[in-house]
Amino acid sequence: MKRRTFAALALAVTTSLGLSACSGAAGGPAEPQGQNGKTVLTVSVWNYEGTPEFKALFDAYEAANPNVDIQPVDILADDYPQKVTTMLAGGDKTDVLTMKNVIDYSRYANNGQLQEIGDVVNSVGKDKLATLDAFDINGKYFAAPYRQDFWLLYYNKDLFKAAGVDDPKNLTWEEYAALAKKLTTEANGKKVYGTYQHIWRSVVQAISAAQNGKDQNSGDYSYFQDQYNTALDLQKSGATLDYGTAKSQKTSYRTMFETGQAAMMPMGTWYIAGVLQAKKDGKTNVNWGLAPMPQKNDDGKVNTFGSPTAFAVNKNASHSDEAKKFITWAAGEEGAKAISKIGVVPAFQSDAVKDAYFKLDGMPTDDLSKKAFTPDQTALEMPVSDKSAATDKVLNQEHDLIMVGEKSVTDGIAEMGKRVKSEVLGQ
Amino acid sequence: MTTETIPQAPAPVQSRGNRKQARRNTLIGWTFILPNFIGFLAFTLIPVLAAFALSFMEWTSFSAPKWVGLANFQRMLASDSFWIALRNTVVYAVGHVPLTMALALLLAMLLNRKLKGIGFFRVAIFFPYITSLVAVAVVWNMLFSPDNGPINQLLHSIGIADAPGWTSSSDWALPAVIITSVWKDMGYYMVLYLAGLQAIPTELYEAAEVDGASAWQRFWNVTIPSLRPTTFFVVVMLTVSSFKVFDLIVVMTNGGPGRSTTVLSQLIYQEGIGEGKFGYSSAISLVLFLIVLTVTVLQFKIQQRRER
Repeated sequence: MKRRTFAALALAVTTSLGLSACSGAAGGPAEPQGQNGKTVLTVSVWNYEGTPEFKALFDAYEAANPNVDIQPVDILADDYPQKVTTMLAGGDKTDVLTMKNVIDYSRYANNGQLQEIGDVVNSVGKDKLATLDAFDINGKYFAAPYRQDFWLLYYNKDLFKAAGVDDPKNLTWEEYAALAKKLTTEANGKKVYGTYQHIWRSVVQAISAAQNGKDQNSGDYSYFQDQYNTALDLQKSGATLDYGTAKSQKTSYRTMFETGQAAMMPMGTWYIAGVLQAKKDGKTNVNWGLAPMPQKNDDGKVNTFGSPTAFAVNKNASHSDEAKKFITWAAGEEGAKAISKIGVVPAFQSDAVKDAYFKLDGMPTDDLSKKAFTPDQTALEMPVSDKSAATDKVLNQEHDLIMVGEKSVTDGIAEMGKRVKSEVLGQ
Repeated sequence: MTTETIPQAPAPVQSRGNRKQARRNTLIGWTFILPNFIGFLAFTLIPVLAAFALSFMEWTSFSAPKWVGLANFQRMLASDSFWIALRNTVVYAVGHVPLTMALALLLAMLLNRKLKGIGFFRVAIFFPYITSLVAVAVVWNMLFSPDNGPINQLLHSIGIADAPGWTSSSDWALPAVIITSVWKDMGYYMVLYLAGLQAIPTELYEAAEVDGASAWQRFWNVTIPSLRPTTFFVVVMLTVSSFKVFDLIVVMTNGGPGRSTTVLSQLIYQEGIGEGKFGYSSAISLVLFLIVLTVTVLQFKIQQRRER
């Protein structure tokens, strides 16, 4: 009988607790050894194969610095923050850490895992780096941005022409919604949606916060109201794919746009490289253009939101000086040129880089596309705060319920405020 | 062994020899289990004990853990998310265990005959079990699609106008997950039942038939009691696996819509790995452990009483 109870206990222990058991020891890469006298610089990256900017940067840097051998530490994109956290907690010695977003950056920097690199930022030029403010922690910088993404409106020029409407210049949200309905057609069983609003909460919430000048960690979300009404109206009228369907089918926004199933699509600039590549590979022949995001106010100013990507030096880096040298190069003009060649938007601002960018093969060259590229104001997608991760979770869950129609906009927004106040802000 | 061949050997020497032999045997035994035990120790036992300790601490993995006593548990009991996850876990278990068991038994009885091509059907039923879980989840998600999914099209065609929204509805998402998991798991438990059924001596059925027992009576008084050890094993395994369900839900609904399918193991993951609150997530995992332990011990006790 005793043995039985013990067996039950053992079974329960091994099966249930094993879940939370997370090993703290992370086997980082072994101490890099110079090959042919080269310095080996390790850089943490995500999805190395599918994120061509890394290879572009590394190849260009190695060509300019033949004594350096860069070795990527490739990590699954979805698990990137968790994996880096585990690595750092285990004393990993990877030299350069790529900061996928500013929320993770503030977490690592505030926990003392990153080296201060104010000198790197200064030598690149503070005024040249867009979104540098996001990395300012009490006047100190622990990372330097090398790319910046912001949201704009992709549109299908052929579908616009077929419907006989003008290019989407200076749209307000009402005009955008009306246009989307007008562009929605169904012929021979093939439905073309006027727009495609992807399921991410930022499509509604971050743009609303940016254009209302609000803080998403505040616990007050009444300003989401209009944006939700627009999103639900588009969905109800059939001008965009239904949220529930998009979610359960795991609809790819790329497919929606590249196969001409959507005439417009608000999306981040990272997708430019994606369209260019798809066109180059012959996977799509979409005739595309860029326009500024639709606006709340009709004052001709373009407000959007975005998120920078940065490089930082690990506190335990094996080669700190080499790492700083690499970051100075990558965040500067040379790095900017290397990544803009493949359609990635660099954080480094210069006319030369921008001109080179629009000369890319397959890039739209009209004035509207160029205008879309210089928004007047780019707010951060999510504020730099230790509360952001927890807030993000709550806002995501409630976004889900509003978009599938389980909760009314008013109730959903009220619930967001209530939950963020009690679960995140501890009020 | 060598000592036994020398019967005249004095007693103390013999016992020393025995002891030596025993030690040798113990050592050999240890070397056999050691490779596995080291793995168990390093990746299961020590982390599990650490999780016990961590549940009374606050730890973000960067700094040293800080003792906070029962604060994590107080926070947990005051948190909506915990109660919602607990309720979802229990609902999932209550749906998943009996349904899988009943269907597995039914299928096992149907397939426990000597028919032509029976092998094909057995394989077909077992197949979902060995199919990649992510593939299963993605395909079922498509089947459950509210507008143009085959399931709702079927429901429409038989006259059900307002078919459920399945994974996009907070009332129907959990049932959708349960249906998928039952479909995936029943093949495995069917095989267990099939083995149990084939171990029942046919004499019992013949004797029951001679005594005039109907098919139903034979099932109830011969099949069910004879299958008791199998059923016990199935119930314990199913219950434990229901309480720790994680992967299927993450892929199918990721806990949504809202929190309607968030289960405890997912909450543990979100709070710990996602937000870095390892102390708090350890506290939740301790509670999950106690629940699974209680349920399992209870099942063992009931089984013992039945055997008596």
